[in-house]
Amino acid sequence: MTALRIVIDVLIGISAIFALAGTIGILKMPDTFSRMQASTCIPTLGTICALLGALLYAIFFKNGDAGSAVKIAVIGLMILVTNPLGSHAIAKGAYKAGVRPEKKMETDDLGRDLYD
Amino acid sequence: MQKTTLPAVVSTFVVSFAFWVLLTWSFTPQELIAGAVISLAVALFSARFFIHEKAFWLCNPAKFFSGLFYWVCIFPVELVKANVDMAKRCFGGCKNINPGIVKVPVDLKSDYGQAALANSITLTPGTITMETTEEDGQNYFYIHWIDVTAPSGREAGDAIKGTLEKGLRRVWE
Repeated sequence: MTALRIVIDVLIGISAIFALAGTIGILKMPDTFSRMQASTCIPTLGTICALLGALLYAIFFKNGDAGSAVKIAVIGLMILVTNPLGSHAIAKGAYKAGVRPEKKMETDDLGRDLYD
Repeated sequence: MQKTTLPAVVSTFVVSFAFWVLLTWSFTPQELIAGAVISLAVALFSARFFIHEKAFWLCNPAKFFSGLFYWVCIFPVELVKANVDMAKRCFGGCKNINPGIVKVPVDLKSDYGQAALANSITLTPGTITMETTEEDGQNYFYIHWIDVTAPSGREAGDAIKGTLEKGLRRVWE
């Protein structure tokens, strides 16, 4: 049981590290789209590792609490399904509304083909 | 918009009912019957938005297991690689970036395949799908890429989504 406990703690530690990385990215990246890129670290490995730890905890330390375990799995699934939809919509909406990085982008095919 | 067909209603009903059971996690008859009635109503109204092609493609074992392999083995590996790369850039002071929007060709034909690929690309840190388009029968994605190493075209496509697309082609083509 102690080994399992260590695995759970390590998973939650990893999730904290990636969430920290995403937060630093959100605060320090130079433009909107790069900030969105950095923030993707948080819902993916940040949340997934934390939920994995919680799932193991619910299964092995709560005497097989199936209700909690299944709800944790559903939360993970919903985050994985809905997060990219929001990202598409925000990125496209920001670009359409005229948000451009200050420093010129390396290539900008979307602007060349559709908007400018 | 498509018409509501029986297979579409049945498959939407199965998904809705599975979600009901997962969320309530109680197996008393009242709960199950209430869930079935609500799932049926939801299925009748939303099947034509939810199902656009073959409804029972998951019943083909080859497709099912290649889908399972994709979401259990291929995609998490790519996800972890991209996450570590992005975390390194963030801890390194966010200076080591070279953002740009590239246009890459996509060989998947079906709607579901393209949606799954676009969502997989967006979930990987470092790439966001911004727009899809079709020109002369070839589909293209416009992808915002944090570190542009190749100009638009096949080469950039392989760098961004080569592995993902190979895995998804076995599921949907």
